[in-house]
Amino acid sequence: MRINTLEDLKYIRETGLKKLKPKQKVRISVGMATCGISVGGDAVFEELKEKLKNREDIILTKTGCIGFCHVEPLVNVYIPGKGILIYHHVQPKDVEKIINNLDKAEQLDNVVCQIDKWDHITSDEIIYGEGFTNIPCWNELKFFKPQRKLVMRNSGIINPEDIDEYIAVGGYSALFKALKEMTPDEIIYEVKGSGLRGRGGAGFPTGIKWELAKKEKSDIKYLICNADEGDPGAYMNRNEMESDPHSVIEGMIIGGYAIGAQKGIIYIRAEYPLALYRLQKAIDGARHYGLLGKNILGSGFDFDITISKGAGAFVCGEETALIASIEGDIGRPRPRPPFPAQKGLWGKPTNINNVETWTNIPLIVKKGGDWFRGFGNEKSPGTKVFSLVGKVENVGLAEVELGTPIKTVVYNIGGGASSGKKVKAVQTGGPSGGCIPTKFFDLPIDYENLASVGSIMGSGGMVAMDENTCMVDTAKFFLDFTVDESCGKCVPCREGLKHMLFILENITKGNGKEEDIGTLEELSETVKTTSLCGLGQTAPNPVITTLKYFKDEYIEHINNKRCPALVCTALIEFEIDQKKCTGCSVCAKRCPTKAIEGILGKGETFKIDQNKCIKCGTCLEVCKFDAVIKTSKGVSNG
Amino acid sequence: MDNEYIHVFINGQKFKAKEGELVIDIARRNGIFIPTLCYEESLKPYGACRMCIVEIKNKGVKKKITTSCTLQAFDGLYVKTDSNEVLKHRRILLELYLAQAPNPEKIKELAQRYGVKKTRFKEKYKEKDPLNNSCILCGLCVRVCNEIMGAGVIGFIGRGEKTRINTPFFEKSDLCLGCKACAEVCPTGAIKFIDEGNFRIANSWSNTSVELKKCKMCGKYFAPSKLDEKIDSIYYYRDKNNELRDLCPDCRRKVITKRINLITENEVEKYAK
Repeated sequence: MRINTLEDLKYIRETGLKKLKPKQKVRISVGMATCGISVGGDAVFEELKEKLKNREDIILTKTGCIGFCHVEPLVNVYIPGKGILIYHHVQPKDVEKIINNLDKAEQLDNVVCQIDKWDHITSDEIIYGEGFTNIPCWNELKFFKPQRKLVMRNSGIINPEDIDEYIAVGGYSALFKALKEMTPDEIIYEVKGSGLRGRGGAGFPTGIKWELAKKEKSDIKYLICNADEGDPGAYMNRNEMESDPHSVIEGMIIGGYAIGAQKGIIYIRAEYPLALYRLQKAIDGARHYGLLGKNILGSGFDFDITISKGAGAFVCGEETALIASIEGDIGRPRPRPPFPAQKGLWGKPTNINNVETWTNIPLIVKKGGDWFRGFGNEKSPGTKVFSLVGKVENVGLAEVELGTPIKTVVYNIGGGASSGKKVKAVQTGGPSGGCIPTKFFDLPIDYENLASVGSIMGSGGMVAMDENTCMVDTAKFFLDFTVDESCGKCVPCREGLKHMLFILENITKGNGKEEDIGTLEELSETVKTTSLCGLGQTAPNPVITTLKYFKDEYIEHINNKRCPALVCTALIEFEIDQKKCTGCSVCAKRCPTKAIEGILGKGETFKIDQNKCIKCGTCLEVCKFDAVIKTSKGVSNG
Repeated sequence: MDNEYIHVFINGQKFKAKEGELVIDIARRNGIFIPTLCYEESLKPYGACRMCIVEIKNKGVKKKITTSCTLQAFDGLYVKTDSNEVLKHRRILLELYLAQAPNPEKIKELAQRYGVKKTRFKEKYKEKDPLNNSCILCGLCVRVCNEIMGAGVIGFIGRGEKTRINTPFFEKSDLCLGCKACAEVCPTGAIKFIDEGNFRIANSWSNTSVELKKCKMCGKYFAPSKLDEKIDSIYYYRDKNNELRDLCPDCRRKVITKRINLITENEVEKYAK
């Protein structure tokens, strides 16, 4: 059927609500975004499917990820009248226990929290039930408490593969409002007023970008959703597309109406098969209801979306390279001007926004720009999803208001370092960002503040580092990535980064020279200043910031040939503490190069032959008596 | 008429220009030297070699370094082509070039001009490099082959520092016209062609070979037949029966000279009557 009137929309909303919170039936949904699947969510789903074959009273569905990836696989159990219980670390063997104890579901030991009500924002707050006693509400958990879910308003609750459920929670009502009650200029006014800034990293005001594209006169205009997420350790966009694909599509249709574009393209990397599948399914669903295609909602506005698959080149996240890639050209940036807003895809005016930017649009249209300004701070309104990874306890997706201090994200949400060690720095913005030391952890996260300490907001990657992280090695890691991903067009990026990597490799191998630090600083400056596109202009940031804040580590590597964090293999040695060694010989058996010898049962005889040792660390891993120690010229973990 | 022009300032001197004109063109027209390795007037702006960087020093605007081959002029634009910062970066870029391709004259010349005596960086050397370790990936050959000749014989292969220029799959190309525009435009002389018998062979492009046309008079091989066909396809009004087309430049000269002489003789006779 086609949706034309408010009644049509309401009718589908009712249908959706019946699926989302059935009156009589239990609904079990498994967190099946890529993060959930990778830790066994699909096995749990299959097991449930098998066990529920003959159960009419239970509905089984998939859902996305609520962000708490550390404790996945997660299973939501909705019990009518009561609400939703979330179980953590569910394995296939737990399935039976869950479905056999529905009457005392809250008594199972792996309940993480409950959801009694949830603000989907685009609709009135949905009450899922009166709640369970003695179970913490989701927002009482330390992980969720500082968070504010705007972008992830539906993630982990609704079934992302069912358009009815998206409509049930108020989806496409913003589109209805936009097409039926607002003019394009009014929409742009609201978006401008909201202060929303591009979530892909650069933070350009979205409203102004739209205005530029709208001003251009052309028979055809294009709209692109940049879903070429490629920062190591960052997966916010992936989750947004996998958990709530319709929010992206709704945002794009509104954007198309506002700037006068007829065609939308989602440029997504082919390495995201699930996101691709769910987006395509969402597009099909929207077409079915007449929300895409000709005469949308009977308003006379035509707009359609197609998907363009990228081959996974990092540089194709850069606007002009992305356009070149869609055109079938080699993915290399083009000089600006002309800007994409003037001459973009196929030489036509083109507006490009990041996935997360698009998901914010329905909220702004529905609630107004002023409402949006109520979140975040003056210069950076709204929220931002961070993918918090690295050496923190609670790895996952955290959506916080901009202006939240770094320490809240790292310590409150992240729970501090997982190893019992101290967090030393966070790296924001992926390979284009910098490492921020703990002394700046009071800093409110926003575009300007992160830039002031040499990093960037980027698309939202946040990698925590503890004392076991070597900062020279970290700089080398990110540079290795950018060298690999540089398109090779301009010299500073192609050649300059390569030589920076050479120098860093030498330093970590103990071959560093004193003048290397100066050379690195000079070269970083030139690459940053003279590169053609954003990749080269930001790629030296990890080196610049680690040189600035952790210079002592570089000096240790260069002058003393010592790696204080015991990471750089060329500078460390493994030894056996013969006092602790019990002579069990496990290390000797497991050593791949037979570098360890000793007499069984005699701990004092075990020794590592340094000439044979390849420093793989197996001995350290397998020793149960902490007898293997890592050393680097006087520093040791023993 | 005068208000159609704008004024830009280059190194403190005032110049007339058209709005949107590239700064490098304005500078060159007025005899100001800006080094380039990837710029060619007849091709689209590309901005890869970064040698032509200049500093924008407009009051109230943040100081910015950008390439003059992509910078469009606006009224009151103030740029410096050799500010200290520009020179600092240009020298480092030249060190990078010296590490990538130390031998080409053009690179040596520029390095000398800017006082770069040696490079601090590890020199790259590839065994059996079809481009003789002289390619700096400026892309001029690829662009001229695509944009001007419309042949599309060569392209970029790979990405980043592994980028190379060659024919697809390193196989002989049957699209090559043998025009040698690529070799002509190459700033470092990296591209090699040789004429052997009735074939022109592009050693740099996977030994792609093109047949040459034989002169009907002296029997010398002189121009690629495919290039001739290409020109025919563009200048369709060219007289296909003109016997001059099948002659090498030397014989052509002889024939034309002879004709001119004939005409003159005739005319002399005419006037004599």
